[in-house]
Amino acid sequence: MIKSPICEMLKIDYPIFQGGMAWIADGRLAAAVSNGGGLGIISAMNAGGDYLKRQIEIARSLTDRPFGVNIMLMSPHVDEVAEIVAEERVPVVTTGAGSPIKYMERWLEAGITVIPVVASVAMAKRAERSGAAAVIAEGEESGGHIGELTTMALVPQVCDAVDIPVIAAGGIADGRGVAACFMLGAVGVQLGTRFLLAKECPVHPNYKEMVLKATDISTVVTGRRFGGHTCRSIKNDFTRNFLKEEYAPDATPEKIEELGVGALRLAALEGDKKNGCFLAGQIAGLVNKEQPAAEIIREIFEEAEALLKGASLWVK
Amino acid sequence: MVLEKVRELIAEKINCEPGSITEETKFADLGIDSLDVTELVMSIEDEFNIELEINESMVTVADLIKAVESKTAKG
Repeated sequence: MIKSPICEMLKIDYPIFQGGMAWIADGRLAAAVSNGGGLGIISAMNAGGDYLKRQIEIARSLTDRPFGVNIMLMSPHVDEVAEIVAEERVPVVTTGAGSPIKYMERWLEAGITVIPVVASVAMAKRAERSGAAAVIAEGEESGGHIGELTTMALVPQVCDAVDIPVIAAGGIADGRGVAACFMLGAVGVQLGTRFLLAKECPVHPNYKEMVLKATDISTVVTGRRFGGHTCRSIKNDFTRNFLKEEYAPDATPEKIEELGVGALRLAALEGDKKNGCFLAGQIAGLVNKEQPAAEIIREIFEEAEALLKGASLWVK
Repeated sequence: MVLEKVRELIAEKINCEPGSITEETKFADLGIDSLDVTELVMSIEDEFNIELEINESMVTVADLIKAVESKTAKG
């Protein structure tokens, strides 16, 4: 059995979080992951407060275990959803796409364990200083909004820089990835792409099919030119058109931002393979079957445990 | 004085000539993204022994200097 300080801190059986994937990670998926012994996470995404309240209610009706909410700090409704998680006393809040410092005082006062996603050492240090209980160090292998460092380079440097627990994310989909991240100093992992193929994941079947079909080189990063919305997704007409526009001589940050509007919803809810933006990590090529969330978690940790037990193989 | 130090720290960080940085220079024009700004602010905090907030209105070198001066004036 693999136990780490993060299990004790969050009262979870396995040190694994399910990523807060916008338009996808709802109350049902979060509850399924939490019931499987991990930390399920609802994405508050760009939606308003009513959506989040409803998802929290659904999760609470399906599980007695702790779960979290991911707050996307660029959301136009961020103030509203930040207040709702405090009112609802959600046990854990993870944050993405920015610095959560503005909301820290309110959340800590509400007894929330705050775990920001960070993409650099400086971000991790600032999170620690502002009262974060742990950080998720996310490498650019991840799907969705990303930084520039790889998980391999980022995780050990963040582990050296802070005294709070570090959760690794980006490029992990099986027990090998988990074992490697523990060797880098992480005490937990966050997975998104693998949970897209959880039976309980409500995403459109076409999305699941895109991930199942993906190979090692199927994803591409858009939005690097102007920064701000750097995103990894599966190559399709949407990404090809985006990149063409992004690198056109007359491109402007405003024009480029317009291009992405609505594309996540098209992918996740409508399964529009042509115009949708199918966020997925580089590890998508390793994800090749649909399974219940609890089975995914069990399988990953059985493998990680066997690997870590056998790690002395190389020590002569 | 603050300008000189901030210039020096930026130049040191991105390997350029301090003389090429003015108050009007935008971080984006120096290829400095939000992750770089976070790191830069950390080193400025250490240098001046202050704590700064980072927000989206920090676009130019002058914005950063203003933030530093508001803190050092208080201290």
